[in-house]
Amino acid sequence: MSDHEKLVVMVTHGPDEPELATIPFAMAGAAVASDVEVVMGFQGNGCLLVKKGVAETVTAPEFAPLGGLLESIRELGGQLLVCSPCVKSRGLSEDDLVEGAEIVAAARFVAEITSATTTLVY
Amino acid sequence: MTQIQIQVQEDQTLDARGLLCPMPIVKTAKAMKTLEPGQVLKLMSTDRGSVADVPAWAEGTGNEVLDSHQEGDTFVFLVRKGKVA
Repeated sequence: MSDHEKLVVMVTHGPDEPELATIPFAMAGAAVASDVEVVMGFQGNGCLLVKKGVAETVTAPEFAPLGGLLESIRELGGQLLVCSPCVKSRGLSEDDLVEGAEIVAAARFVAEITSATTTLVY
Repeated sequence: MTQIQIQVQEDQTLDARGLLCPMPIVKTAKAMKTLEPGQVLKLMSTDRGSVADVPAWAEGTGNEVLDSHQEGDTFVFLVRKGKVA
């Protein structure tokens, strides 16, 4: 890439909707593979996807399994930010989330989005 | 008429057959990180999306698709690593 590019991908669908849960991971995976900086933001039921052990259970037809996508995104430097109230309201804490997932509040999401080249919301 | 065929020896082969979107590209990106500029990766994929994905990825990341063709159900690409990646 000649210029630094940054993609924010907001995820609001959970494991009960495998296709809508997986598409943002597919986009984020393609982006990190393309040397684009990636920040994934998890809100609503989307935060359940970064609960330990959940991603491995989600597979949408004709898409790569979500567990492997999550692993690749982390390996290639993608950041995982999780909505604080969404986590709390589901009885979760940082210990329940996958390694590297960071609990943040709205202002951090705003800072990431306003400094991004593009934001995708799913 | 004489047919000219490009003969390029790959430095590494990536068998991504059976992998679904976007894993062929993700695996390609990982494999390319292990190569030196100028070296060539041979990618084999059965994901139809790779036909559009590989050239787009290569253009965006400064790599070069030297050849692409189909062998049965398999899409084969030869990708040369660019100077900056």
